[in-house]
Amino acid sequence: MRVSLEWLKDYVDIAVPSNELAELLSMSGSSVDRVIEEGKGLEGVVVGHVVEVRPHPNADKLRIAIVDDGSTMRKIVCGAPNLKEGKKYALALPGARLPSVSDKTMHSATIRGVKSEGMFTSGAELGVNEDTSGIFELGREAPVGVDIRKALSLEDVIFDLEVTPNRPDCMSMMGIAREVAALTGKTLHLPQVEVSEKGPPIDGNARVMINDSAVCPRYTARVIKGAKVADSPLWMQRRLLAAGARPINNIVDVTNYVLLELGQPLHAFDLNLLGEKTIVVRLAHHGELITTLDGVDRQLDDQSLVIADTSKPVALAGVMGGGDSEVTERTSDVLIESAYFEPTSILRTSKRLGIRTEASSRFERGTDHEGTKLAAERAAWLMSELSGGVVAAGDIDVYPNPISPVSIDLRPERVNQLLGTQIAKNETVEILKKLEMEIEDNDVLKVRVPSFRRDLEREIDLIEEIARIHGYWKIPSALPAGGGMDAGLTIGQRLEERVTDSLSAQGLMEVWTDSFMRVEDLDRMRVPQGDRLRDLVTLVNPLAETGEVMRTTIVPGLLRVAARNINRGIKDLALFEQGRVFFAGEPGELPVERQCVDILLSGEKGTYGWGGDEREVDYYDLKGLVENLRAALKVKDLRFEAGDCPCMMPGTCAEVAVGEHTVGYLGRLHPEVADAFHVAGEFYIAELALEPLLDASEAGHEYRPLGRFPSVKLDIAVVVDEELAGSSVGDSIYRNGGEFLQSVRLFDLYHGPQIPHGKKSLAYALEFASTERTLTDEETRVELERIIDTLREEFGAQIRGREQDQGEST
Amino acid sequence: MDVRQELVKLAESKPELAYLVRESLEAVDRSGTLLEIEGARLAILGKKGRVSEIFKHLSEVPAEDRPEIGRVANMLRRYVEAELARKSEELKESDAEAMQKRQALDVTLPGRRAPVGRKHLLTQVIEEVTSIFISLGYWIESGPEAELDYYNFEALNTPAYHPSRSLLDTFYIMKNEPDKNSPDDVLLRTHTSPVQVRVMESRTPPLYVVSPGKAYRREAIDATHTAMFYQVEGFAVDRGIHMGHLKGTLEVVARKLFGSERRVRFRPDFFPFTEPSAEVDVSCHVCEGKGCALCKGIGWLEILGCGMIDPNVFEYVGYDPEEYTGFAFGMGIERIAMLKYGIEDIRLFYENDVRFLRQF
Ligand SMILES: [Zn+2]
Repeated sequence: MRVSLEWLKDYVDIAVPSNELAELLSMSGSSVDRVIEEGKGLEGVVVGHVVEVRPHPNADKLRIAIVDDGSTMRKIVCGAPNLKEGKKYALALPGARLPSVSDKTMHSATIRGVKSEGMFTSGAELGVNEDTSGIFELGREAPVGVDIRKALSLEDVIFDLEVTPNRPDCMSMMGIAREVAALTGKTLHLPQVEVSEKGPPIDGNARVMINDSAVCPRYTARVIKGAKVADSPLWMQRRLLAAGARPINNIVDVTNYVLLELGQPLHAFDLNLLGEKTIVVRLAHHGELITTLDGVDRQLDDQSLVIADTSKPVALAGVMGGGDSEVTERTSDVLIESAYFEPTSILRTSKRLGIRTEASSRFERGTDHEGTKLAAERAAWLMSELSGGVVAAGDIDVYPNPISPVSIDLRPERVNQLLGTQIAKNETVEILKKLEMEIEDNDVLKVRVPSFRRDLEREIDLIEEIARIHGYWKIPSALPAGGGMDAGLTIGQRLEERVTDSLSAQGLMEVWTDSFMRVEDLDRMRVPQGDRLRDLVTLVNPLAETGEVMRTTIVPGLLRVAARNINRGIKDLALFEQGRVFFAGEPGELPVERQCVDILLSGEKGTYGWGGDEREVDYYDLKGLVENLRAALKVKDLRFEAGDCPCMMPGTCAEVAVGEHTVGYLGRLHPEVADAFHVAGEFYIAELALEPLLDASEAGHEYRPLGRFPSVKLDIAVVVDEELAGSSVGDSIYRNGGEFLQSVRLFDLYHGPQIPHGKKSLAYALEFASTERTLTDEETRVELERIIDTLREEFGAQIRGREQDQGEST
Repeated sequence: MDVRQELVKLAESKPELAYLVRESLEAVDRSGTLLEIEGARLAILGKKGRVSEIFKHLSEVPAEDRPEIGRVANMLRRYVEAELARKSEELKESDAEAMQKRQALDVTLPGRRAPVGRKHLLTQVIEEVTSIFISLGYWIESGPEAELDYYNFEALNTPAYHPSRSLLDTFYIMKNEPDKNSPDDVLLRTHTSPVQVRVMESRTPPLYVVSPGKAYRREAIDATHTAMFYQVEGFAVDRGIHMGHLKGTLEVVARKLFGSERRVRFRPDFFPFTEPSAEVDVSCHVCEGKGCALCKGIGWLEILGCGMIDPNVFEYVGYDPEEYTGFAFGMGIERIAMLKYGIEDIRLFYENDVRFLRQF
């Protein structure tokens, strides 16, 4: 909302500089976003009178105006569509300064061969409004040649402020003036109303009937007779412009002026266009039509409140007037509507029809039901002053069930309990009185709230008012006790952090992708119908750019990140994401949300630098990351078994399980999937559910004493069938290793001329030790023999190298 | 006359010694490596060496010759010892020199680093914020991102016709059983505040909780808006909690995040679920409050919204607002990160360009 300081001064004395006032308002809840100093630095702009308009010899869109600047005639080249002979406009003379445009001085210029001795300016160039569509036009009575700052009383400061939704009363000059008065301790001046009712009694001239008083509790009307519709005087136009409203004519301008002044929306009807000069406030008939002032035909439902005459709707109550009863130049008798409508009814209608107006935005938040009479009177007086009409005697005020004033009990000690302050009772009373509340001073204060403060209903609402006016900055800061034993992370939360710790420490970049995806992402991933990944959570109202379902897998998001980076020339990728995936819930239940961690590797793996360690990543790099993650989470047994996930290249996929639970899968992305996501290259991807991993974590595991005796290290190479899962050899060694076996590590996988076709050689480094003594050669030999015997038995394995020692040949 | 000449002269007079002494001296002269020196030492001075041999055979020589032979043998031993020590010392010195030369590096070349990963900037900021709260005695709770209308709006005192409840502003989720009377609308939570209600429903005070999490708003995506964003919610409910506690807590948090010399101010604002409500500004850390591009000339940066929990919310969860009071706040993590690092486009967080991620 735009508040003119010059206008505001009508209602309250202001002694503080404007920037201090802005600060006061901001710090009490009416946030001042911008302070605009109008007319500051504006020089050399005068009222120019266009005496004649000629065509431009060299341009169709330009014209030449002969302009009286008060002392001489000037030729001005102008392209504005609203240039008319006989009108007055803001004219910038050579040497003028327009600070809203630039800080430079204007010079005369030659435009298409014609010298322009100055230029007309738009409202935006003057800094009085945002209008750039044409040049700024002045009223007929603007004195020619006078400085524009004087003509428009432009020495003003505009506060562009944001009113919180609970304060409709602040959407007016009066409301802000009340705040300023309360904050600065100055007296409030109510606007002048000296209506002299020279006209005939209103009763014979108009009628008002309310059919539904629940939605329209009050309707006040005034009538003006013999009005002459014309332009408003400059001072009013100027104030409307300052507030961001467009002047139309003296009748409509008064309704807008009073709306801005008092916050009470008004509507002016051409009384003679109302059937039987009667206003009927009723709900619309289903399918009833109205053409609103904006020229749109609107079909109504039976819950929309309308203002009708005896035959047809003439306005959408509280939202917008109708074209049929509009005030025009032919209008002489006017009916002023000043009503109170039920907020939710207006909100509903304005939402249903998609119209929001100055009126509806106030009605939907709650206007002052006790303010309708004053606003009608004020408007009637202004209209008769400006239009020469007479005010009909009396008003019509239909208010069948007066709304009782709100009274709230306030415990002064509660104020201090809740704010942590020591505000004395009399200070509390003082503050409330400044806000125009009436107080019965007992132990508990009985506070009667003024009717325009619709937001005050409870004790807490009053406490907030006291805090606001007392000043938030005066509340002393303190720290509360805190959660004691409950404070800190749980074991599960620490483990979750450890996932990102472990993966980022292993050289991966964490990414954050959208929780949304598209159904076609699952087709691209070759996910079969009926798969769990298709238990989708679907959005009712998706955005085109995000996707219509919640993700059931992070893979599409990661592939999109990969594609984006690859397109930007970053080809070596090591990424991970930890986040939720969503599956459709049981009927009547919320969707199921699962925490997942995904890894993507592609391109080269190596050091940052030189030395030639770089090589393409492979499956085992990915698996190593997962194994280290397992170790970080202290999960004992993670099983990797050959899997057949459809998004993975056949023969390169492992399913991961812990105990009874499937955790996820890893492997090389199927080339078709990569194609479908428009990425080229080899991608290694893992997707793991976090919950079973965290559940399997043995966070409290025990320490193993360190061996004091030297260990014995032995290598063996085991030749087995190519098809045999390598992990079973390692597992067998572990299982049969006996009490002294400390570790088993695969260090080589070999196919080649040294071993028979269809076989592979797995080389392991074994380490034996005892915690009690140094093992003898004989003891380790016995251990090794047992391991070898079992390998032979279980897998028909042959032991390379060793057999030769014993003089056997292969 | 030096020891060597004397030794040679003496040995010549005793033919039985002459050979041994000459051979020993030659062995010493021949040894040019540490290994050879060690060999010579063993051959001459060892248990079975030349000198021991001389002493061993002393009984076989005439008694009058014995002192002289003994003297020569001892002379030989001392000479060889000293000479070998000198040689080995020389050798070691020159060896180390050569070795050093061989092993010298161009220390100015860049190091070889293991690939370094990063937590996402938003993760880093979340961890920073939550750790501040944990140090103040808070714990972490989380809640569903697909949430009931009840928790997201109704129990947070949001009026039925509030604009944020519209299909234009909030993502709603399709019901999976349209014929049955599904209890409530399911939506993507528009803030993390529903966690307040869930935690209060399931526990009794004292509560000191922070809840980081994703939230969603149906907004056209541009430099300052994304449909998905990250919030940290926090609240404290206890006996005797007052607005001074809210101020003190958030002052600590704002200063820990933006620097201990920052000023912090609380401006009255309005939220349906807190009263009194406030917007918190921190003095701009770039211009120190003088006004710059980051703070748009105001000198203050808006960082979060907060307030005292509205008694209506307590009534929804069955707490007695006379017994318990509390405060709550919510801050946008992207905004904090943008202000801290001068990032101008929120979309950078979700684009995941590695060149961006690597910077933090
Ligand atoms: Zn700044």
